[in-house]
Amino acid sequence: MPTREWTGEEVAAAAERLVPGSVARTTAGACYLKAEKLVEAIEALRSSPDTDFVHLTNLCGVDYWDHFEVVYHLQSFVRNQICCLKIEVWDREKAVAPSVVPVFHGAWMQECEAYDLLGIRFEGHPNLHRIFLWEGYPGWPLRKDFLSMPGGLQPGLNEFAGTARRPEPATRLVQ
Amino acid sequence: MTDAIKTEPFVLNIGPQHPSTHGVFRIKVTVDGEKVLDAEMVMGYLHRSMEKLAEERTYTQNIPFTDRTDYLSSMANNLGYCLAVEKLAGIGVPARGDAIRVIMAELQRLASHCMAVGAFTNDTGAWQTPVMWAFREREKILDIFEMTCGARLTCNYMRIGGVAFDLPAAFEPAVRKLLRELVPFIDEMEGLLVGNEIFLARTRGVGVLTPEQATNASLSGPLLRGSGIAWDLRKADPYCGYEQYDFDIPIGYQGDSFDRFIVRIEEMRQSIKIIKQALDGLPGGPHSTQVPLALRPPQGEAYARVEGSRGELGYYLVSDDGPSPYRFHIRAPSFINLSALKEMTVGGTVADAIVVLGSIDVVVGEIDR
Repeated sequence: MPTREWTGEEVAAAAERLVPGSVARTTAGACYLKAEKLVEAIEALRSSPDTDFVHLTNLCGVDYWDHFEVVYHLQSFVRNQICCLKIEVWDREKAVAPSVVPVFHGAWMQECEAYDLLGIRFEGHPNLHRIFLWEGYPGWPLRKDFLSMPGGLQPGLNEFAGTARRPEPATRLVQ
Repeated sequence: MTDAIKTEPFVLNIGPQHPSTHGVFRIKVTVDGEKVLDAEMVMGYLHRSMEKLAEERTYTQNIPFTDRTDYLSSMANNLGYCLAVEKLAGIGVPARGDAIRVIMAELQRLASHCMAVGAFTNDTGAWQTPVMWAFREREKILDIFEMTCGARLTCNYMRIGGVAFDLPAAFEPAVRKLLRELVPFIDEMEGLLVGNEIFLARTRGVGVLTPEQATNASLSGPLLRGSGIAWDLRKADPYCGYEQYDFDIPIGYQGDSFDRFIVRIEEMRQSIKIIKQALDGLPGGPHSTQVPLALRPPQGEAYARVEGSRGELGYYLVSDDGPSPYRFHIRAPSFINLSALKEMTVGGTVADAIVVLGSIDVVVGEIDR
């Protein structure tokens, strides 16, 4: 008996019933939630017995040039079903999304990863930091415009981000 | 008298170059005497930006990358990625291809669990002997991989639409011989450790996770099953025809390190059972469907997952109708299983932190990607 994948409409109906006004739009496979209602809606989907999405399976961000999407896959063990929720983040300079760590502890590391590689700041995360790269690494590598970002990696094998723009040593000041 | 001894907390680095971290992984533990007050994970030493690299390469060219994430179970990684591309592009796999994939994935699980169990006993202080036994058996499985696809560790054997080439004639007798030898090995290994009082004292009640904690921390695989949740994707969401095979899901009751160990041991027996059934019913016909080399799946996205050796191994792919994935995300089980490390270690001793990390069975290539 394979896992039942909820369609976008099914998730939207359930989310709208539990938290009115939380759904932004739906597609065939996913339900787009409003960012400000995300935590409330996810908590409701988790604790309501007829949805029972107790397990946050996957969390990742996707860059679509003009906006980001944060994708959440939730599943239920007892009912053997999985659903896909998304939110959109439109501001590229100050990309902010609500953190779901208060609901799912398992989001802790995955939100750190999305912050590290895509630069989406999760508000409410207890310890958001760059998990793979070091603090001060220039740019966000998984963004599509990473190569043209200020301080970003230049194509070529002999340059390495963070070390490429070392200032010239201050010699020959005295002629 | 002991109250008069004044201790103060200090930070101790376990790793990155430490045998028990199984790679370059660091835990910064704050300890007060022997007691762990806080644990912070530092990772990224092996970060190779697989997900970015994959956006520049075609769907077929990405298969070797998946080998190098979890280098102890490359077959499962290949399989998960190929399933995701097949789901995205709507490609079917012939029955023989599915059966070969199942055999390979289960052999890989055996090899990986050999390594996990061996290294775990090493962490508990059973120095070298059990790990060498486990290595000896794993070596035989790697020989079979070498016979089939020429590589031992990074197999690169699965292809989109099937497997790279058919099984050699010597494969079936070699696997049957291997399975005959593995059954007494597992019994011996289990007897050696389960009957050992030191091993029990080191693992029983160490790193206990309740089912609620395990679910909330998004754990999967032997950790989740060790905590008593019978969730196995091979049963719950069968892929590659797993629904045809008869096997059980072993679970633990205490949720401690010992239960995770025993779940792995029992899973090895179940894997042997699955391989035997798959070999007996190995269908004829082609091993792969014809797939264009420059594959361009239609616009869309797919999330496919398999039950890897360490848990739910998922691939989330987004296609923009181009020759390479627009987004390539790996849901790495080792990485997400670590989110419960702090809960399990805080309050215990430093020596128990090593045992807990061993019981999670991390592979750093998969954590850092």
